[in-house]
Amino acid sequence: MTFKSALEIDCGLRYMYETLEVISPCGRKMLLGSEMMTGKREIDYYYSKLNEIYYRDCTRIANKLMCLKDIQNTLSRLAGGAVLDDIELFEVKYLAIVSSEVLLLLEELRIKSVRLPVLEEVVKILDPDGLNIPSFYVYDTYHPELKEIRRQMRLLQGAGEELPKEKREELAVLLQRNADIELEVRCGLSQTLRKFAADLTLSLRNLSFLDILIAKAEQMKRLGLCFPAVTEDGETFYNGMFNPAVKEIVVKQGREYMPVDISFEREPVTIIGANMGGKSVALKCLALNQLLVQFGFGVAAHDCCVNLVEEVALCIGDEQSIVKGVSSFAGEMLAVDAVIRKIREGKAILALIDEPARTTNPVEGTALVEGLLEVIGKVRGGFVLTTHYNIGNESVKRYRVKGLRDGVMDYTLEVTQCGDVPHEAIAIAESLGIDPKWIECTKRNLNN
Amino acid sequence: MPFIKEILNYDSLSIVGLEKNVGKTECLNYILCRLPLQEKRVAVTSIGIDGENKDQVTSTKKPEIFLREGMYFSTAESHYKERRLVSELVEITNERSSLGRIVTAKVSVGGKALISGPSSGVSLRRWVAGMEKFGIDLTIIDGAISRLSSASPAISKAMILSTGAAFSSNIQTLVQKTKFVVEMIGLPKLEDVTRDALCDIESGVWGVDNDDNIIDFGLTSALAISSLKVDITKGMRIIYTVGALTDKLLKLVSDSKNIRNVTLVVKDFTKIFVSETAYRVFCSRGGKIMVLQKSKLIAVCVNPTAPNGYVLDSDILCGKLEEALKLPVYDIVKNKYDI
Repeated sequence: MTFKSALEIDCGLRYMYETLEVISPCGRKMLLGSEMMTGKREIDYYYSKLNEIYYRDCTRIANKLMCLKDIQNTLSRLAGGAVLDDIELFEVKYLAIVSSEVLLLLEELRIKSVRLPVLEEVVKILDPDGLNIPSFYVYDTYHPELKEIRRQMRLLQGAGEELPKEKREELAVLLQRNADIELEVRCGLSQTLRKFAADLTLSLRNLSFLDILIAKAEQMKRLGLCFPAVTEDGETFYNGMFNPAVKEIVVKQGREYMPVDISFEREPVTIIGANMGGKSVALKCLALNQLLVQFGFGVAAHDCCVNLVEEVALCIGDEQSIVKGVSSFAGEMLAVDAVIRKIREGKAILALIDEPARTTNPVEGTALVEGLLEVIGKVRGGFVLTTHYNIGNESVKRYRVKGLRDGVMDYTLEVTQCGDVPHEAIAIAESLGIDPKWIECTKRNLNN
Repeated sequence: MPFIKEILNYDSLSIVGLEKNVGKTECLNYILCRLPLQEKRVAVTSIGIDGENKDQVTSTKKPEIFLREGMYFSTAESHYKERRLVSELVEITNERSSLGRIVTAKVSVGGKALISGPSSGVSLRRWVAGMEKFGIDLTIIDGAISRLSSASPAISKAMILSTGAAFSSNIQTLVQKTKFVVEMIGLPKLEDVTRDALCDIESGVWGVDNDDNIIDFGLTSALAISSLKVDITKGMRIIYTVGALTDKLLKLVSDSKNIRNVTLVVKDFTKIFVSETAYRVFCSRGGKIMVLQKSKLIAVCVNPTAPNGYVLDSDILCGKLEEALKLPVYDIVKNKYDI
């Protein structure tokens, strides 16, 4: 799965992407196209790099990267033997200068996780006068005739006044000669530079990668994210897990965001609790953090250890589709069915299912959820569902949202042995200011 | 050399034409050839395509843009490749036009080039700001036909207006139409306690009452004016429209009893899209329009030749225009002022 396709999962990853300040267009392109990492070694290695950047002040490097342009097409043309035009040669020179400057800063800051090739030679070829400025044209020095031709052109042109016919013709000849020589020079330059195409491509890639790392490190500091520990086939736990997008909204409203703790291994997990108790948010957090880990971001928790998976499946909303002619119940059943199949195939998948079978009658709904937990059994990745049904299964780990305490919602999760769901729906409806007559009738019916 | 000295007092200039083939490019070339480059570092761009050999619409011959050594110019990359001069590429900007990325270069050997720069007001503003890093003292924007927006004081502080037989081949109509545009450019600037607050507003139609309270009429723009149920001029001394000022809004204020006490305010003259008739009615009833930002109109240039071959008498035209506009008017082609 690429990062771009992971953005489709509605868990707050898009918020993380949008608040990630990757400066260069090629950095963004690289990030969007990056594949989800699944191996512990790979992820540990990635975080060791991010860790190095995290503890360095990379502001000056970030400033340099602001000028980085995506010139992959130009580099491919160069490698393929094309004759580059002025604009492309400018791009190559510019990349070589930025890369050389960043290389110096990497050495100064003793950063070893990103390596850049030495491109001094490229700069020298494209800056024959040693002016050391990021601009380019076919300099007079490239060809013995150029200087004289251009001198004559200047003399003829004057300040732009209308020229007599013979002078115009003379000028046209000079212009043509100048253009021919420029082409000849560019042919030569393109050929000389061709052997540097691989180094230039490597440089562009590593500068883009550096841009991503710097943005991730900066985001970690800004949003209070942590470095995760990762495991293959072990326990997942989060202490102080939160959802940055939700947290931002809550804090803006002047309220306090309550982080939650959760842990699980191969046993399925159920989360029960009051409506508006943050069950769905908890599921989204789990999906988000799993993806953050496997795409090498800082994780939204105080500290954590995450079991690696091959896929994250989040079934959260109403899966009904008018286009496909599927009702909400059918849509949900099909989505959960797809998850079951993948688990059966032995895929390590983190399956997060919000209130399965909620749209059908409670008797069959409960049976369906119990059946699901039974058929799933133990899983390699992780299996968490939320529900309002009283589930009788034994081999599950149960969490419950603490719920209303003196009229205030406590969103934290606690482990519970009993599967009885709390009866707080009416109290919550009341707190929302729902029609009092309706509430009154409801209470009366309940008591009867 | 008329008006060159005056241009040097400003750091940004736009040249706008009231119609195609009114001699705008001639006018630009006139300026570019005479600016003292040893004193000022100059950057040129254009809104839309300019400097082409032939007019894209009427296929008439058009003068090309001549750029002198030391000048900076910004154009689309495809046009850059066709330049007939020697220049040093200094920047590939983040702006794009339909002809590709906009690049900036410094001329090493003067010559002719096609110039097609950023096309939106916002990107032009960014272009002007971006020229600062090259130490540019004067930015010149060549405007496109009926696109007065580049002359907005938010983009350039001074402007030159081109008019001519292509705009109208009847001297009287030409003078009258040009005079109306010049009148709009010359509208007085609002000096008021609420001016700064009004400048910060980004959209909609607003009012200022007699106690200086700024009131939002809840309209997204003046175009939504017909949805109004109340008389917005009542109790107001200023009606401010951030976007376009249309005939509809003008008529609404014209027809109000309060017209003598209320001033219509617009951001700048480029936001005024009213017909002359509606404006005259408005004025005759005692209405007034003011602007928040004002451009300095340096000069008016004329081209007495229309693309259909019709030629007006240059001296009579210049004389009549000068008399009506109370501004210097020049026929640059005929008079061939010295370089």
